[in-house]
Amino acid sequence: MATVSDAAPPPRSSMLGVRLREAGWGYAFVAVPIAVFGLFFIYPFGYAVYISFFHWGILGKQAGGSGTFNYSKVLHDPIFHTALKNVAEYTLGVVPLTMALGLSLALVINQKIRGRNFFRSAFYFPSIASSVAITTIALYIFNSDGLFNRIIGSQTPWFTTASKVTWAIVGLNTWTTSGTVMLYYLAGLQAISNDVYEAAALDNTSAWRTFWKITFPLLRPVHFFVLVVFGVGALKVFDQQFIVSGGAGGPNYSTYTPVLYIYRAAFSSFDFGLAAAAGVVYFVIIFAVTLVQNLTVGRREA
Amino acid sequence: MRKRSGVLLGLLVALVLLAATAQAATHRAAVTNVTLAGWSSGPDEDALLNQVIAKFNATHKTIHAEFSVINGDYGTAMTARFAAHNPPDVFYVDSSVVGAWERQGVLQPLNSYVKTSKYDTSAFFPSLLGAFMSGKTIYGFPKDWSPLAMEVNKGMLGQAGGKAPTTWAQLQSVAQQMANKNVVPGGKPICLAADWARMLAFIYQGGGSLTNLTSPAVANAVSFYVGLISKGLAVTPDKLGAGWCGEALGKQKAAIIFEGNWLLPYMKSTYPNVQYGVFPMIKGKTGGNLAFTVSYSMAKDAQNKQAAWTLLSWLTSKQGQTIWMSKGLALPSRKDVKAIGGRQAFLSAAPFAHGWGFGNPNFATAYTVMNNDLAAVISGSKSVQSMLSDAAAALKG
Repeated sequence: MATVSDAAPPPRSSMLGVRLREAGWGYAFVAVPIAVFGLFFIYPFGYAVYISFFHWGILGKQAGGSGTFNYSKVLHDPIFHTALKNVAEYTLGVVPLTMALGLSLALVINQKIRGRNFFRSAFYFPSIASSVAITTIALYIFNSDGLFNRIIGSQTPWFTTASKVTWAIVGLNTWTTSGTVMLYYLAGLQAISNDVYEAAALDNTSAWRTFWKITFPLLRPVHFFVLVVFGVGALKVFDQQFIVSGGAGGPNYSTYTPVLYIYRAAFSSFDFGLAAAAGVVYFVIIFAVTLVQNLTVGRREA
Repeated sequence: MRKRSGVLLGLLVALVLLAATAQAATHRAAVTNVTLAGWSSGPDEDALLNQVIAKFNATHKTIHAEFSVINGDYGTAMTARFAAHNPPDVFYVDSSVVGAWERQGVLQPLNSYVKTSKYDTSAFFPSLLGAFMSGKTIYGFPKDWSPLAMEVNKGMLGQAGGKAPTTWAQLQSVAQQMANKNVVPGGKPICLAADWARMLAFIYQGGGSLTNLTSPAVANAVSFYVGLISKGLAVTPDKLGAGWCGEALGKQKAAIIFEGNWLLPYMKSTYPNVQYGVFPMIKGKTGGNLAFTVSYSMAKDAQNKQAAWTLLSWLTSKQGQTIWMSKGLALPSRKDVKAIGGRQAFLSAAPFAHGWGFGNPNFATAYTVMNNDLAAVISGSKSVQSMLSDAAAALKG
């Protein structure tokens, strides 16, 4: 049994000193990442907002004064509208498909099957391969006389047909990203306590019902996380469209995405003011989408 | 402890001495370094360029030129270098972007250097030099060029009468014969890219021009070009499983294509067994062709402009260009340098060739709009008239 004096708290003032010192160390540790964050994110972001109000070229500010002209140009540009429509179609396609495939793979891997480590690596592999390399090879596979058409017996040039290219990229990216989603779901599955499954087993619940009534709802935090992270990732899609169209967003603007719009405004038209304005507009859009997700799917999470 | 600091001090002194002697060495020779940047068009061309530069360095003791290849997106990389005020001294500029770069103020006007060094500009083909001029101001000298020509598979042409077409009407009838006799199994008689960089040649042949896109002559030429596709006589290369029409010719999926001098080394290395002939570009109402050309230009922020000019003017001189032309990878932009044999079909286009870029600072941006629209016209989802008015608006900026 400890003596009274042992258990007594130290005098209040020295406690405060300890806290302050601890806080000081805390801030010291946080200072470095905050400085990096500030230098490479906050400062460029603020600067981008600044230049979005000017005519801005390669060498800096140009004549023509300041104003919101870049914003009105972006908001009235039919190409930007097409880009938004394209990315919406892409996101609505790729996110649910990736989640469904990722969850299915996770359910398979979560079983006690032989060689699960092999399958886990195999499913994850496309996620770590370079998207540029994968897309370049896909160009050949989806060629009019490529492997894919040989298998399904058609001659469609998938990446150069305006009505097909978005879905070809959806298919490609579903395959490449579902491995990562699988890992998140796997972690989520393993976090579900065995007790609930045992209770379900005692009640003689079917596997199908167990999945929909227990597993799926209990994975809600993972659904939310994947939806937000991969939703935002899908909205920022760029590389695949850039490669299949040679950077031109064609055919008929079908591979124009908002990020490609920003890229082209900056590096093809050298209109950095317009590119910055488009970036700010698109930031607001993504922010709003995330907010909506948070209020709908995220709310009941706690 | 003292011993160790003594060693350190000794090392430091040695280092300083070394640096000082190194500096003294460069001072003695007084060599100015000049950087040259461009993209790579393959190992053959890189080797040839290094050969040209080695010759320059051997004949210019006070200047050392070095070539650095910019891999990846050339325009993006150069934009970053310009913005950082750290561009290469001399670099390639494609005629399609020279107008935009000039407007951004990153290119050095060369007139004063031409004047003081009495550089003879009359040796250049006027349409090629003109592609790099704005009014009377020169922003670069063409290092080489290529127009389009007509390349035809010899065996397939033989089966269709053996006579290469020279006019639009003949092109259509030869293609029709090829289609009737099924001379190109699994392909189409003609390969046409969904690209204004090909169609614009036809527009000039029809008497139109880029500056008057709403004229009926332009609409007629576009209808002819797109009509060849809708009639089933021509097809875009992607439908043939090819990245471009040169590949379609190589795979024998098309008999007639319209490509530039760059096709020749490609066919030689990739499809050496395909027998094809190079013919002058066909004519409509008149001759019409495009001049794809690249300049050597100088940066406004170049470190040593006098040395940069020495390099630039030597590279584009008769002597420099003669070495550059020795392998036939491109055509000479100077009248006093001979092309290697078998290039007559290309050279005959010089009087009709319009510099790709057309001195329009909005050209590179408009070109994207024009090609996206052309794909829509070919697939039938856009009218020719609305494409032409889009194009005219985009060119205006």
